Amino acid sequence: MNIPGLGQAAPAATFSAPTIQAAVAVHDLQANSEWRFEVAYGQSIEVKILSGTAEIFGTELAVNHTYTFRGTKSSIFTWHGCRIEVNGPCEEYMAEETPMITYVNTHFALEKLRDDAIQNGGEGPRVLVVGPNNAGKTSLVKLLTAYATRMGRQPMVINTDSREALLSIPGTLTATPFASIIDVEHGWGSSPTSGPSPVPVKLPLCYYYGLASPEDDTKLYKPILTRLALAAASRLADDPVIRGTGMIIDTPGVISQGKGGYDLISHIVSEFSVNTILVLGSERLHSEMQRRFSAYKTRSGEAITLVKLDKSGGCVDRDDTFMQQMQEAAIREYFFGDPKRTLSPHTQQVNFDDATIYKIHEGGEEDSQQVGLYENVEPSSMMLHCLLAVMYASTRDSQETVRDASVMGFVYVAEVDEKKRRLKILAPLNTRITDRPMIWGSWPETTVSLI
Amino acid sequence: MTTEFSDDVAEDYKRALEDLTMNSRYEISNLTVIARENTEHALAISEALKSHIKQTSPQKKLPAFYVLDSVIKNVGTPYTIFLSRGLYSTFMEAYALVDNSVRRKMDEMLKTWKEPVPGALDTRPVFPRDVTGPIENALIKARTSAIQAQQEHTRSQQQILGRGRPGPSPAPYRETPTPPNAYRQPPPVQQGYNSNYPQQQYPSAMNGQQYGQQPHVQQSYGLPPVSRPSSGKFDYTNQDQRPPTQNYIPHNASAGSWQQPPPQQGYSAHDNSIDELNSDIANLITVFKTDFALNPLDGNIQKRLKALLDLQSIMQSQRLPPQQISEIKTQVAKLSEASKATPKAPKSPTPAPVPAQLPQQNSLSSLLGPGGQGTLAALLAKQTPPIQTRSPQPALNQPFKPPPVSMAPTPVPDTGSLFEKLLAAGIISGKPAISTPTPNIPLPANISGYRPPFTPNPSRTPLGEIPNDVVLKTSSLKILYEKLGAPCTQCGRRFQSNEEGKKKKTAHMDWHFRVHQRMTEAEKRGQHRSWYVDELDWIKSREVEGDQNTSNGDKTNGSGVTSSSITSKPKLQYLPVPDDPALASSTCPICTEKFEMKWLDEAQEFVWMDAKKINQRIYHISCYEDVNKAGIKRDTPEPVLGKRKHEVTTPTGCRIGKSNKAQDDNIAVRSKIKTESY
Repeated sequence: MNIPGLGQAAPAATFSAPTIQAAVAVHDLQANSEWRFEVAYGQSIEVKILSGTAEIFGTELAVNHTYTFRGTKSSIFTWHGCRIEVNGPCEEYMAEETPMITYVNTHFALEKLRDDAIQNGGEGPRVLVVGPNNAGKTSLVKLLTAYATRMGRQPMVINTDSREALLSIPGTLTATPFASIIDVEHGWGSSPTSGPSPVPVKLPLCYYYGLASPEDDTKLYKPILTRLALAAASRLADDPVIRGTGMIIDTPGVISQGKGGYDLISHIVSEFSVNTILVLGSERLHSEMQRRFSAYKTRSGEAITLVKLDKSGGCVDRDDTFMQQMQEAAIREYFFGDPKRTLSPHTQQVNFDDATIYKIHEGGEEDSQQVGLYENVEPSSMMLHCLLAVMYASTRDSQETVRDASVMGFVYVAEVDEKKRRLKILAPLNTRITDRPMIWGSWPETTVSLI
Repeated sequence: MTTEFSDDVAEDYKRALEDLTMNSRYEISNLTVIARENTEHALAISEALKSHIKQTSPQKKLPAFYVLDSVIKNVGTPYTIFLSRGLYSTFMEAYALVDNSVRRKMDEMLKTWKEPVPGALDTRPVFPRDVTGPIENALIKARTSAIQAQQEHTRSQQQILGRGRPGPSPAPYRETPTPPNAYRQPPPVQQGYNSNYPQQQYPSAMNGQQYGQQPHVQQSYGLPPVSRPSSGKFDYTNQDQRPPTQNYIPHNASAGSWQQPPPQQGYSAHDNSIDELNSDIANLITVFKTDFALNPLDGNIQKRLKALLDLQSIMQSQRLPPQQISEIKTQVAKLSEASKATPKAPKSPTPAPVPAQLPQQNSLSSLLGPGGQGTLAALLAKQTPPIQTRSPQPALNQPFKPPPVSMAPTPVPDTGSLFEKLLAAGIISGKPAISTPTPNIPLPANISGYRPPFTPNPSRTPLGEIPNDVVLKTSSLKILYEKLGAPCTQCGRRFQSNEEGKKKKTAHMDWHFRVHQRMTEAEKRGQHRSWYVDELDWIKSREVEGDQNTSNGDKTNGSGVTSSSITSKPKLQYLPVPDDPALASSTCPICTEKFEMKWLDEAQEFVWMDAKKINQRIYHISCYEDVNKAGIKRDTPEPVLGKRKHEVTTPTGCRIGKSNKAQDDNIAVRSKIKTESY
């Protein structure tokens, strides 16, 4: 095998590459510096904080606890300096310049608003984070959320970006109160399962949009947002701790990039009574926001605070492949759990006649006006390997009711037998789904077979 | 996620599989562990395993199947899902190519797949029914057509030989395996079956002798059935479903007398009693094996089992004088008396239907005569995939070899669970409940020396005013760090350093400890993603930090989320929804209504609220209490009483559970009753 010149070296190398443990590296981080790393999908690294303090997007890491990261682009920041041990292959570098001070100042500014709100019995700040793609919006949202929970607050985190999910599957819009530590190893953490979780699970409320971009069908996107805002507002009205903390709203990058998008921002601002807008990494967007909202008053008469923040130098463009992998990982995680906690989904057979499936129109807006929101379709082999959102509604409900319903869960179409008129679906748990309409969207795209 | 890395893992796994040439328990459990540790590559590994099973040579297929079996039983999902896909073709294609001994092992393996994993809390079968069902059906179908073909074949033979005697015979299975005066029963076949047990040796010279004679018979029959495709689908084991197989008996009986009987198979007077004795011994062996499987450490059982096995081989290899036989007989009778006296079922519970088939195999193989078998063997080798054969001649192909299979699939879970337990123990011991001091956090030192750069924040463009300093103060940062106590060693979470914070932290550490404990339990039971909550429940739910929550004692949920309705009613009683589908559809025997399923955050699972299990039956607590309040005392509530109770339980004037129509109306009533009892 190892005789030189026989050309055998290459396969041997690829074979051994993943198993070779890159030598354990120890890095010393200066105060206020950041260690940025990228782990490809399918690979994993182990990171241990040996001493000092360190945090990932605001969540403090435990010392001498091994964290495993897979398929991620992330960073570890330290306020006080720390020493970390890294085990595994990853792209990495150290960064001295970070916008962390601006960010943490923003947090303290928000804290001040929260204190005021609690004193006056009002609502904490509703913070909207806008900015182009890959500007670090979600990371900032995560950071602000983590800082708030560290101080005993309970922020309501709203995700309006259907491309990337928060505690759910892409295609959903969610609202989630955060009271406990964010799972640093798995993005935001996990939604409830039947078993215990090493990191407290979060309870998201999900609505299904089912398309990648809000601009694909604003007639669908807007009412769903309205519904989401209504639910979140009801929760805030009911729940004093969350009310005092307020909301943090993440947005899709695409709405920060054009005229149609700005209208959507206006929609979000009015629906969620946003009173603070954080503009991330775009001068142009900032001035546009200034133009739109300088004279704007929220329903309760508050003016809007506009804050421009720098984009972190650590923001990297995530290419389509990476996004695709991220999406697949989210879907897999939904059904099968993560390496530390395996979940057991169940397959079940559903007769065509027992399934009510609505397909989201994709033709454009004129179509949907004429034909209705969704098209009631018969299962077909087109559906193979697609995800269907199971809605908390009845099959007899109107399409509007179905649209406004929250998501019960997702099923994956594993097989379509057109002859026997049967679907084989993979559901997260072993209960029959009866009388629940299902929505078939084009997002998330599933190109690979899950099972 | 399917990346090159997965491919590499799969490639690795494939190589490991290729090295698996024999049934090595060590290697199989090793491969299982690898699969367990690489669940994120489960798809790739499953595919590798499946393709290996398909491609590898027939004699390596069984070990590969044992790997599959071990993986699904010890690791479970996601492998179960991945492997169940295409299991039919994997199984059937392999089945068609392997020899009969392997087939029988595969049959047994298939049987265990229809049952829950031994020792697991989960009562669901290893593979769902819709996966094993088609395989079974195909096997049954194949067997049936094989029997028909065999009949036809036999008939034609009978005609050829002019000996056709289609009279009915006592085919139904009796405790004595051989019909009186029929061809002498060769016990080896029965033994052959037994040899599926790991501790059993292969028998016996007898097989060899018998099979040694087959060629003659085959020749004399001059069978050309290779050309007839259906004749390949022989199966003996399902004979009981097919009365026509009785035809074989006369034929074979005659064949037996027609050919030269083996020396030890005389027609002496005590033949029958020897047969009986043999079968008794075999039965006893089965019983003891069951016992042995249950108490593997019991030396007595082991000894007895060995003695019996020895006895059996003696009985088969030698002809004993009658008085010795009668002595043995009394001994055996005693033993079997004793074994019957023990509460354990005399039948082996492991592969339940098999014992019933045993004698069938016996009589069949003997009845069919060596000729049939010889032909079969020839046929089987040429089989095409859909033709399934099952035949009771394990020793035919390797009569004298010790079984290559030293391990049956069943023992594997033991190692697995042991491993799990060890692991669990390690994990638990590794995570102390008490927070360890963390002296190596040089916080104070660092802090005193730490001067935050007082950089002004230039990027703020206050449209309104954020009333805060633009610079970062040390004091601000301290709020996030030093002002809070030392972080949790498990997750890095900090708590206030005041009394309340300390309490919270203790509770938090307890929570960690309990979660670790529960996680190992949950792993065995199998977990699944829950449905998301609906709007109203979500609005009503409250985020409660998991740690606070645990201070309530019995609440060990990992969620940190509690529904307000629950916190306000801490005594709410519920029952987790049973996994067993039969139980899951059960109704309250008192009101005959179904239980209402509900997701309970607190318990982190779906529960039946207001339900309680009393003496193996599940009741609405409110119903049960109503009934008991009404003055009827009973220890074991019976449905009859429950029915009578209907009249009593209806203070509202409604008759409950009388008819389906009435039920709809009564749901409202019932829920009212339940609400009141909260």
